[in-house]
Amino acid sequence: MTLETGPQQASEKSLEAMRQFSETYAQRTGTYFCADLSITAVVIEGLAKHKEELGSPLCPCRHYEDKEAEVKSAFWNCPCVPMRERKECHCMLFLTPDNDFAGDKQEISIDEIRGTTNQYA
Amino acid sequence: MSAAAQVTDASFDKDVLESEIPVLVDFWAPWCGPCRMVAPVVEEIAQQYDGQLKVVKVNTDENPAVASKYGIRSIPTLMIFKGGQRVDMVVGAVPKTTLAQTLEKYL
Repeated sequence: MTLETGPQQASEKSLEAMRQFSETYAQRTGTYFCADLSITAVVIEGLAKHKEELGSPLCPCRHYEDKEAEVKSAFWNCPCVPMRERKECHCMLFLTPDNDFAGDKQEISIDEIRGTTNQYA
Repeated sequence: MSAAAQVTDASFDKDVLESEIPVLVDFWAPWCGPCRMVAPVVEEIAQQYDGQLKVVKVNTDENPAVASKYGIRSIPTLMIFKGGQRVDMVVGAVPKTTLAQTLEKYL
């Protein structure tokens, strides 16, 4: 294992906001979380961290030259334009039922999220 | 012990561009779910091709210069370098067989 300090996690408040958003949005769009919920957990932590740092849940599965500018342009603020238009989430948070990686859940608890992300922080 | 070493903006030229064998670079970020999914695949590849291929990882949050230089957008992005040149890339969490097939062309 690495001895470096890991990435910082979001506050409980931001995490809970993004957890609730993720559940509601999955239900509303008929999409499902990844069969491996540790993937879901990492992405929700990333969204919460961005929401806290930048004011918007910028997609954590992209590299940006300038995060502040990206937040203003809004294209990659979750739910991003590809998700809203075509149900495409390359972060694998919201998966359509035909996706090989889709599970059968639209719920995830704070404990499930932190159970994963505490290992990386 | 991880088979894939972390490289940085500062060490990229030496570790990747000046390598005598081909290099697979895994551009990743800490809170990117698919990056966590592809990490074990990259580790397996590192072990399978030990001696033939160098496998390294770049944290794009901590090393924005090299990520920007190579136009990284969607992550994970797996890039193959040979003789100091980028020769191929695969975007997203791909199965090991797909990655191996892409790599074989350069070994």
